[in-house]
Amino acid sequence: MKRFIKQFYVGLIFFFLYVPIAVLFVLSFNDSLSRVHWGGFTLKWYTELVENAPLMDALVNTLLLAVASAGIATILGLAACIGMTAMKHSSRQVLTMIAQIPMLNADVVTGIALMLLLARFMNLSFGSVLIAHITFNLPYVILNILPKLKQIGTSTYEAALDLGASPAYAFFKIVLPEIFPGVLTGFLLAFTMSLDDFSVTYFTKGPGFETLSTTIYGELRKGIKPQMYALSTLMFLVVLLILFIINRQSVKEERKIKQQKKKHSLSRTALCLMLFLLPVTLSGCGKQKENYQNEITVFNYSEYIDPEVLEIFEEETGIHVNYEEFATNEAMYAKLSSDAVSYDLLGPSDYMIEKLMKEGRLQKIDKSKIPNLKNLKKNCLESCESFDPGNEYAVPEFWGTLGLLYNTKMISETEVSSWDCLFDEKNKGNIIMSNDMRNSIGIALKKLGYSINSSNPKEIKEATDLLIRQKPLVQAYLTDETRDELVAENAAIGVIYSGEAYLAMEYNEDLAYSVPEEGSNVWFDCFVMPKDAPNKEGALKFLNFMLREDIASMNFEYVYYTTPNQAVIDSQPDDIKYDDCIFPTDEMVSRGEPFTYLGAKGEKLYSESWKRLKSR
Amino acid sequence: MRNSLFKKLLSGPYIFWIVGFTVLPLLVIAYYAFTQNGQFTLANITAITQYAHWKALAISLVLALLCTFVCLLISFPLALVLRNLSLAKGHLARGRNNMIVMLFILPMWINFLLRSYAWQMILSRNGLLNGFLSLLHLPKLHIYNTPWAILLGMIYDFLPFMILPVYNAMIKIDQDVINAAYDLGATKQTTLRKIIFPLSLPGIISGITMVFVPSISEFAIANLLGGGKILLIGNIIEQEFSEGNNWNLGSGLSLILMIFIIISMLFTAKYDKNGEGGTLL
Repeated sequence: MKRFIKQFYVGLIFFFLYVPIAVLFVLSFNDSLSRVHWGGFTLKWYTELVENAPLMDALVNTLLLAVASAGIATILGLAACIGMTAMKHSSRQVLTMIAQIPMLNADVVTGIALMLLLARFMNLSFGSVLIAHITFNLPYVILNILPKLKQIGTSTYEAALDLGASPAYAFFKIVLPEIFPGVLTGFLLAFTMSLDDFSVTYFTKGPGFETLSTTIYGELRKGIKPQMYALSTLMFLVVLLILFIINRQSVKEERKIKQQKKKHSLSRTALCLMLFLLPVTLSGCGKQKENYQNEITVFNYSEYIDPEVLEIFEEETGIHVNYEEFATNEAMYAKLSSDAVSYDLLGPSDYMIEKLMKEGRLQKIDKSKIPNLKNLKKNCLESCESFDPGNEYAVPEFWGTLGLLYNTKMISETEVSSWDCLFDEKNKGNIIMSNDMRNSIGIALKKLGYSINSSNPKEIKEATDLLIRQKPLVQAYLTDETRDELVAENAAIGVIYSGEAYLAMEYNEDLAYSVPEEGSNVWFDCFVMPKDAPNKEGALKFLNFMLREDIASMNFEYVYYTTPNQAVIDSQPDDIKYDDCIFPTDEMVSRGEPFTYLGAKGEKLYSESWKRLKSR
Repeated sequence: MRNSLFKKLLSGPYIFWIVGFTVLPLLVIAYYAFTQNGQFTLANITAITQYAHWKALAISLVLALLCTFVCLLISFPLALVLRNLSLAKGHLARGRNNMIVMLFILPMWINFLLRSYAWQMILSRNGLLNGFLSLLHLPKLHIYNTPWAILLGMIYDFLPFMILPVYNAMIKIDQDVINAAYDLGATKQTTLRKIIFPLSLPGIISGITMVFVPSISEFAIANLLGGGKILLIGNIIEQEFSEGNNWNLGSGLSLILMIFIIISMLFTAKYDKNGEGGTLL
């Protein structure tokens, strides 16, 4: 009975740890791009995996980085722990204290601080990411080895010395085997931390280097691609299989021999891991970078360019595109301000473009070199003038509206024609607001009849008070997850960008999209050129290429956000051309207002108001 | 003692490393924290007294403490049971031992975001858990988008960091010592309290540090499972570095958090001295 309780307890904990993994396992066979929509059983994500070269590259990078950073951290940490045992109590305390700093700091803080520092004396590349990873791995190694060292006594070690063993010999024969579980756990936890990290990697990496984490965060906006689930499941199963084989072997050996088996099972573990890593590593090394005469570096919103489009450009022009992605304007700004990388083109949004312009970081674009500008929609360019007067700096990539995604079974069309529905007691618990402070405060401002760009303290206070009163009605403040929550019918209304609303409606036909009558935000994501762009000619060629009808059309079909390219719009079939979610009507646009830059004071005001709301 | 200098030198590369890549970046943060537009100021440090800030800090602290406590509560008995399972006839089966360690680490090799999404699907209103409950005609659970979901997510993410060091410390305890205690008439409780607990203390302390310290600045789970309705100090720091674009304030608040390293060290030091006897190596 007692034994049963014990086993039940262990089983329960494993169940807790493995339930989410089981969910992901099931998702890897789901024939749908949305995680909340079951589209039938398929194996295609597994078969597509091998062909997905960027994902395989990311896998290789991730594993190399994790093995190298955990390995180096383990060696450094092990040596440090031994050294620390010979130190005075106080100096040991100071060292362990400093070691914990990267563990305590929020990832963003560690990432930005390391970026600012490393960018001073090295290129942001594999090396800088490796340094950063070793740094945050070290505390985990030390915290696992130190307690083991404390546990073992000195007597056996000293006895070995008395018997004539050299300190090194005694260490490897006596001490290391004793503390080995701690060393192994330290290494594995470090490996895990490196595998999982996003923020620090994002800030310390350069263009063209992706890990699995950065890939996943890049895919967030449009839903994580199921290949990722397949890859995770596969990695997981391979390691599990290796584990079972090793366990089997060592149990067998245990019966036969006693002493030698340690070496065996250890070296076998290492061997198996190597066998697992080798093919992946080789596939990475086998690939050769072609020689291009010149290159451009583009820093763009994630999921905004079909990778095939980039390949065509490279083939046609012989210019290599160093492509890097960001998830938010602010993340881009932080990276940009470290001056670590010289970009030729950036792809931020409206208000950020104005900010960069005002800070003198941008240069005017030579329009005579881009004949395809004629393809751009007229009223789209007019709207852009609100943040870029004269259309001198920005070339629109995609645009759209901010509106409401709603479930027609739960709420009527007349209700969602006004922002009032978000503040109606009747919809309590069924509302998803935007977790973006400018979106949410902007909606409140619009409802009150003010400008979405107000920086008048009185108006902002009024808007914030309104949001505070609304908070009990709100189910959650989300950004990337709103779409899935609505598809899964966990809520009735959600604030969402038009492009994502369109995706959601594909999965659940009861969903519809509305831009309330009070007016909303119209957003523009555009290409701009930094002042110090190293390859201006190449960048202009790229812009002209992106605006070409066939290319813009290809890219539109990949992204499915509103394209500003009139030539592409004209070539669409009627059901898409007149879908006001993909292509907002002129009337919707005229009601909308693009965000403009608020200035440092305005930013602070919004930030404080947002905290006031959230801390209620 | 002859080779004590040599031993100390072994720490050299590590000290070099943390000075370069931990202390220097910290100085960068400190520079931002004590300036605003190039002028010296203490405002970013004293900002912690603002309502939104100290409330966020308090909630973070409570959640971190609860998370650490629950993790310990789960891990200690678990490590005891696992110790018994992996000690085959008094000898440690190393293969099985490595296997156990790996089984706890393996779930964490799946990306954090994917795991959190899986939890969303389990906990959400029409999620798997509620589907299962309604199948059994039980009332639905509404913990999604509440602090309880954040706590659950934190425990899930940090549990292995507690289990592993506690377990590693416990398998090291000699069975003979425990048997001796029984032979001398100690009850199970006494043995647990007087023998097993003190001997696994170094592991417990490492576990507490590895769970408590990082969980103070946790923020991603609050957004993913807490519906963004609760502000943790990590959220505020993150917001100031991103949307708020006020790196100075973000840095100031980050420096405040350093206090907790000192508190955690004082706590550790109290127990560290007790165990010092046999640790000279």
